[in-house]
Amino acid sequence: MRHLSILGYYFAQYIKIRLAYPGDFLIAVSTSLAGTVASFGFLYILFHRVSSLQGWAFEELLFIYGFNLVCLGLFNVLSMNLYEFGERYIMEGRFDQIMLRPLHSLFQVIFEAFRIESFQEFATGLVVVGYVWHKLDLPLTPLDLVLFLLMTVCGVTIYLAVFVMLSSLSFWFEDRVGVSPPVFNMIAFGRYPVTIYNVFIQFLLSWIIPFAFASFYPTTYFLQRHEFSSFFALVPVVAATFVLLALFLWSRGVRGYQSTGS
Amino acid sequence: MAVIEVSRVSKRFKTYDRKEGVWGGIQNLVRRNPREVRAVDDVSFTVDAGEMVGYIGANGAGKSTTIKMLTGILVPSSGSIRANGYVPYLDRHQYTRGIGVVFGQRTQLWWDIAVVESFQLLKRIYDVSDRTFEEQLEIFDAVLDLKPLLYTPVRKLSLGERMRCDLAAAFLHRPRIVFLDEPTIGLDVVAKENIRQFLKRINTELRVTVVLTTHDLSDIEELCRRVLIIDRGHLLFDGSLEGLRERFECKSQIVFELREPVQVDFSRLGFNASVEFQQLDALRCQAVFDKKKVASAELIKAIVNSLAVRDVTLDDTTIEEIVREIYSRGEVASA
Repeated sequence: MRHLSILGYYFAQYIKIRLAYPGDFLIAVSTSLAGTVASFGFLYILFHRVSSLQGWAFEELLFIYGFNLVCLGLFNVLSMNLYEFGERYIMEGRFDQIMLRPLHSLFQVIFEAFRIESFQEFATGLVVVGYVWHKLDLPLTPLDLVLFLLMTVCGVTIYLAVFVMLSSLSFWFEDRVGVSPPVFNMIAFGRYPVTIYNVFIQFLLSWIIPFAFASFYPTTYFLQRHEFSSFFALVPVVAATFVLLALFLWSRGVRGYQSTGS
Repeated sequence: MAVIEVSRVSKRFKTYDRKEGVWGGIQNLVRRNPREVRAVDDVSFTVDAGEMVGYIGANGAGKSTTIKMLTGILVPSSGSIRANGYVPYLDRHQYTRGIGVVFGQRTQLWWDIAVVESFQLLKRIYDVSDRTFEEQLEIFDAVLDLKPLLYTPVRKLSLGERMRCDLAAAFLHRPRIVFLDEPTIGLDVVAKENIRQFLKRINTELRVTVVLTTHDLSDIEELCRRVLIIDRGHLLFDGSLEGLRERFECKSQIVFELREPVQVDFSRLGFNASVEFQQLDALRCQAVFDKKKVASAELIKAIVNSLAVRDVTLDDTTIEEIVREIYSRGEVASA
């Protein structure tokens, strides 16, 4: 409860800060929106020429894409500081302040800044998912809704866990580690049915950097592709495992934190 | 009763030397040159409840590293620390609720939001009740004159104003121990005085234990009965200010001015064995002596009785001089 109230306060303060520079905020929103539109345009042009991708129809791909956007949007809202963690917190020494407050350090780092414009991605994703749901006349029971919610939480969690692990590396390597951007780009791989890739990439996306568990596998249940049902069942397990791993790595990093001079 | 117990604490850092130049930069990628730095080496001390302790040392002596270990930011490489009943780095959540920390070089507050919003946020983080919050703000306002600053974003405050707000932020949750790392650095005389007054009140009225590091020895002289001196990671001295003066050969000097220009025969005074006399010019003479061996009152009496003197001034060695001497000697002296 205390954490929730603090989170709300952090969020309100951050909105105030961002709205203090309305021009900057508007530009951020429109760039973000343009990016989303462009990626859907790409998908549309692609399917203008081919009607299906290894047995997956355009609408199904659209659903995966939309679901991915829902999770990714929420993740983008929350991940702002994780990206800049090494620089903002470790190299500039701001992590000292974090350590002095009676709150979990990761909680503070994640919730001190939000990429608010990415709510746009979340909303667009929801619209797309809703459209396909309606268009394909997929079943919609209360259980489906609950599962959709659960899958969204798992998806966001998996993304966060992966990037928390990458950020934790900053505790040991004082040099800027440039692994986050390429890993972030790999999220795009998860937007397509994992079966279109070769075995190596399938394995990588499932078990090493489990982005397929954050976008493709969760959708298979709603799209009634029951051949993947065992993977679908594993989604919460994968999410929980990666969160535990991330928290472990983070706390090891905090123990080894060296602070800066002065 | 000890609230802080530090026993045989050391902190070692591993750093990597970097070669200069572009070619050096490329070499750094392949081979890193690790080097171990002992920032704090086998330091032990205790602090009692309600004490105000000054922790001094040159740049890079290990002050900040010690403070960071005491506050739970850094984990000691060896040795143990207990403060307020907790091991700082292990019980961070409970421990940080009972301490306040101010780093003079860096603000606790959120840069872009108004001071009062930062306070509100801290209030939530530390679970401070509305009543306590109001009361604390009243107290701070009385000493630190905070009200005019509350609605300004932190980044627009001057250094002195920011420091006042930072102090208030550190005391909002009524901590029992407060650590201040260079709280007066870069401040003007008025701001310094302001902050010293505040610390004195907090310490005497609320019985808060205070540990402060500083470069400015006048801070220590005005605030602390006890000093710890650290140099190159070693604790050189732990004791009272008077003890520090006593322990280190304290040269005092008396300068006296004669009524009329004469050549003085110092042997008449009878202190030739223990005092170094010197005639500075026609009117002024100087006597340098060790306070432990010669009572200054006796010496002054002798001077006034046997010579026609217009004015006498007595100069004690300042703490600053003692410290400068300790640094240059690097001598180990424990009290």
